[in-house]
Amino acid sequence: MPGDHRRIRGPEESQPPQLYAADEDEAPAARDPTRLRPVYARAGLLSQAKGSAYLEAGGTKVLCAVSGPRQAEGSERGGGPAGAGGEAPAALRGRLLCDFRRAPFAGRRRRAPPGGGEERELALALQEALEPAVRLGRYPRAQLEVSALLLEDGGSALAAALTAAALALADAGVEMYDLVVGCGLSRTPEPAPTWLLDPTRLEEEHAAAGLTVALMPVLNQVAGLLGSGEGGPTESWAEAVRLGLEGCQRLYPVLQQCLVRAARRRGAAAPS
Amino acid sequence: MTVLDYSRSLEQISEDLRVDGRGCEDYRCVEVETDVVSNTSGSARVKLGHTDILVGVKAEMGTPKLEKPDEGYLEFFVDCSANATPEFEGRGGDDLGTEIANTLYRIFNNKSSVDLKSLCISPREHCWILYVDVLLLECDGNLFDTICIAVKAALFNTRIPRVRVLEDEEGSKDIELSDDPYDCIRLSVENVPCIVTLCKIGYRHVVDATLQEEACSLASLLVSVTSTGVVTCMRKVGKGSLDPESIFEMMETGKRVGKVLHASLQSVLHKEESLGPKRQKVGFLG
Repeated sequence: MPGDHRRIRGPEESQPPQLYAADEDEAPAARDPTRLRPVYARAGLLSQAKGSAYLEAGGTKVLCAVSGPRQAEGSERGGGPAGAGGEAPAALRGRLLCDFRRAPFAGRRRRAPPGGGEERELALALQEALEPAVRLGRYPRAQLEVSALLLEDGGSALAAALTAAALALADAGVEMYDLVVGCGLSRTPEPAPTWLLDPTRLEEEHAAAGLTVALMPVLNQVAGLLGSGEGGPTESWAEAVRLGLEGCQRLYPVLQQCLVRAARRRGAAAPS
Repeated sequence: MTVLDYSRSLEQISEDLRVDGRGCEDYRCVEVETDVVSNTSGSARVKLGHTDILVGVKAEMGTPKLEKPDEGYLEFFVDCSANATPEFEGRGGDDLGTEIANTLYRIFNNKSSVDLKSLCISPREHCWILYVDVLLLECDGNLFDTICIAVKAALFNTRIPRVRVLEDEEGSKDIELSDDPYDCIRLSVENVPCIVTLCKIGYRHVVDATLQEEACSLASLLVSVTSTGVVTCMRKVGKGSLDPESIFEMMETGKRVGKVLHASLQSVLHKEESLGPKRQKVGFLG
């Protein structure tokens, strides 16, 4: 009888063979700590989403889609004094719901969805970084849904997801104060610890600490910050944050061009 | 929170004076008591103002993870009880619980916080898994700091029984528990970090915000500091954005405040332990 899975039971948990292989880990090659990988960004590619963006940086590929605004659940709340600029009072402000998903084939090991705690944490980090930029007061009683899908993890996945999400929100025509640009960093282990900008997956795996910064470039405000590991004293973290902010500023012109091209494409496709 | 309260808070804080008379870098009175739950390997209860946290640590034997065969590990679970605030009724507290648990995982995710190698019994086969369960009994602002203090106190109080693995001639392994109930291994909590949450209110930042102050603040920075001033985790919390210069200032304040917090916590824990079994237990009705 071909493959009777009910009687022939395989092991309950499976592992990739690399875990049992002899340790042939190459150390990541030395490189200029401030180099940013070339980025390919494209907005407005999904036909079914209000706004969408695809970002590729080195081996990291992220696809992000925005839908809404649609009526929020549980939106019957009292009013209050209106905010400045004709915005809704605090109780009626719109909501931003973020979802971060990893494709099962994104990393070295297969991770079956739902990914559990890590994806919830990154989704929360996305939400906290995007909220300062979006004018939620202009969408009373509504919710905007942002969903990021990581197709391949080649290092600095959260930073790429942040940038793609901001591009998708801009592509959807959501009112924003500024774009959000994300940048990842990682610290090499002892001896000679240095902070590397935009690490690859190999560098992240060998790292002692990692940090992701999200910056609103024009306003020069930090929208998001998430870092952990043995990063050393506060001066070392401060240096990393500065390096990250510089990286974000360098990335900004690429994203501006991407949005301009998307707007032109939409203008050309619209029936006159 | 009315608009009048908010503007009054801003004025006062700019002069280093808060509603309850504290300075911007002062904590409220903290009460720490360990060994409150008898069924656990270690427990602690911490009260900071009206915020009340109970942590229980249970040590169980299990198999080590594949990637780290000679280390034990910690598992965190945070339960926001419905008694804390009405918002936590039903599944309401789940999101906050997952967020706090994820932050705790992040803080303990480095080699130096807890010596995981001491939790190994035999590599690849047996290790100690510490299940740290946090219960939120009452919520009055500044949850992260209180929870981290409670986890540190509970880990200090944890007693893991000493266990030996005996091997037969046939090669089968047998686990032997020591007969003496007081023969146990203690964890060193020297390098366990403490979280300091700094809330940005107006142009200044405050440490240990109450619920009202948290409502005034748009963004906070959560810094996890060890007793030597090494930062193990940094996170921006809240809906607003932060100026890069404020972030650097807040990190420095966090390091300063963190060192003082560690020193006082260590002295309190050692003093409580030196009182021995004859100390007066306050428990829940004191």
